[in-house]
Amino acid sequence: MARAIAAGHRKRHPEASAAKHCDRSLPPPRQPLRCLAVTQPRPASDEARAHLARMLIATGSEDRAAFRELYHLTSAKLFGVVLRICGDTQAAEDVLHDVYLIIWRRAGAWEPGRASPITWLATIARNRAIDWRRAQKVRRAGPIDEASDIPDTAPDAESELVAAGERHSLRHCLEELEPRQGEAIRTAFFDGMTYADYAEARGVPLGTAKSWIRRGLARLKECLDRDA
Amino acid sequence: MTPEPDTHDPEPQDVAAAELALGLLDGEERAAALRRVLAEPAFAAEVERWRLYFAQLFDLWPEAEAPEGLIDRIDESLGGPKPSRTRRAPWPLIAVAMSALAAVLLVVIALRPAPTPLPAPVPQVQEGSRTLLIAALGDAKSPVAAAYHPENGLLRIAAAPTVPAARVAQLWAIGGDGVPHPLGLLTAAGTELRLAAADRARLVPGTTLAISVEPTGGSPTGLPTGPVVATGALSAV
Repeated sequence: MARAIAAGHRKRHPEASAAKHCDRSLPPPRQPLRCLAVTQPRPASDEARAHLARMLIATGSEDRAAFRELYHLTSAKLFGVVLRICGDTQAAEDVLHDVYLIIWRRAGAWEPGRASPITWLATIARNRAIDWRRAQKVRRAGPIDEASDIPDTAPDAESELVAAGERHSLRHCLEELEPRQGEAIRTAFFDGMTYADYAEARGVPLGTAKSWIRRGLARLKECLDRDA
Repeated sequence: MTPEPDTHDPEPQDVAAAELALGLLDGEERAAALRRVLAEPAFAAEVERWRLYFAQLFDLWPEAEAPEGLIDRIDESLGGPKPSRTRRAPWPLIAVAMSALAAVLLVVIALRPAPTPLPAPVPQVQEGSRTLLIAALGDAKSPVAAAYHPENGLLRIAAAPTVPAARVAQLWAIGGDGVPHPLGLLTAAGTELRLAAADRARLVPGTTLAISVEPTGGSPTGLPTGPVVATGALSAV
């Protein structure tokens, strides 16, 4: 899971794999999101993962230096998460600030073995960003084709999963769905959308949106159960 | 954009665990799913399994350079050279009582938050400007107000639902992991819980508080065993 983090972030400057998204034709509110350098995840070594886990555990013991290191290892990933969901750079910064305060306070509760460190951290970031957006009572106004910005597979992600023994790959199963179902589920995840958000953004009745996504989830479940 | 008929699909399966894990639900549907998390351990495990599945997608999430200098601002907001969460300075009782009262008023009458009387500023873990988290548990007719001070870990519950003889109301916190964690037992006259560090970390805006009816002494299993009679989400004031 997200082994990309540590190795990617020691270096603060994106390299060849960095892509500059800067579509000036987009309306202003969406612009900041597109104009940031985004770096596609790269695999990181087991050592990098272990290092991140050590930093998280040390943070749980109120080690400030470890906390700063944890930030350097993970902030690009977590900022990517909150920026996408918040859709506004300033709000995303405030939310990221909050996220790291939550991490500081909750780090002691991380249980190795239950979720990988980066999964755990990214989940906190996603949940906090969604909470923020729902508290604003702001629905995403723009079109939601941005899910297409996100690649279907990360480099070597599949082989990594196999190597890690995670045979029931969600990504593999998502590919088995009808394109529309898969797209809806990916959008719900990456944009933090509820059924109501999705229906509004797609301009379809709520019942229709629910029916698409529920059918997709049911098929996903079959696939995951089969692979498990 | 109309759905094509999908006649070969079987009857819709129960995908509520996936819906909750993905965050598709809101309002009453979300509350109902959270009640199932509390009442059905198998459902809670299913939610957790889906969360881990969906978390595989984090690998694909594009990164973005965080704003410069943010770590310094975060570090600063943690307080002085020593981590401020080790601080145990108790607030004057009166301030706690007034804050809780303000929270109850806010919940019940839905007033605009009035400035809460606070003692002289103390160093604290700042989370924005928030100093108090509140929740209204249960229905609109008889909500139970909960107020939590992150600074000192004090959680006050104004009352407890009526429970049968030889039963007790138990309070739970359900965070992002969807797993209920016991916080303590409630008394009808109101309860003040000073939470342990691990429990404090669970109480953030968005965390759901829930009350279940349990055997005397509390749930023997560590998870709710009786009916869930009230739930509500914490929010900052």
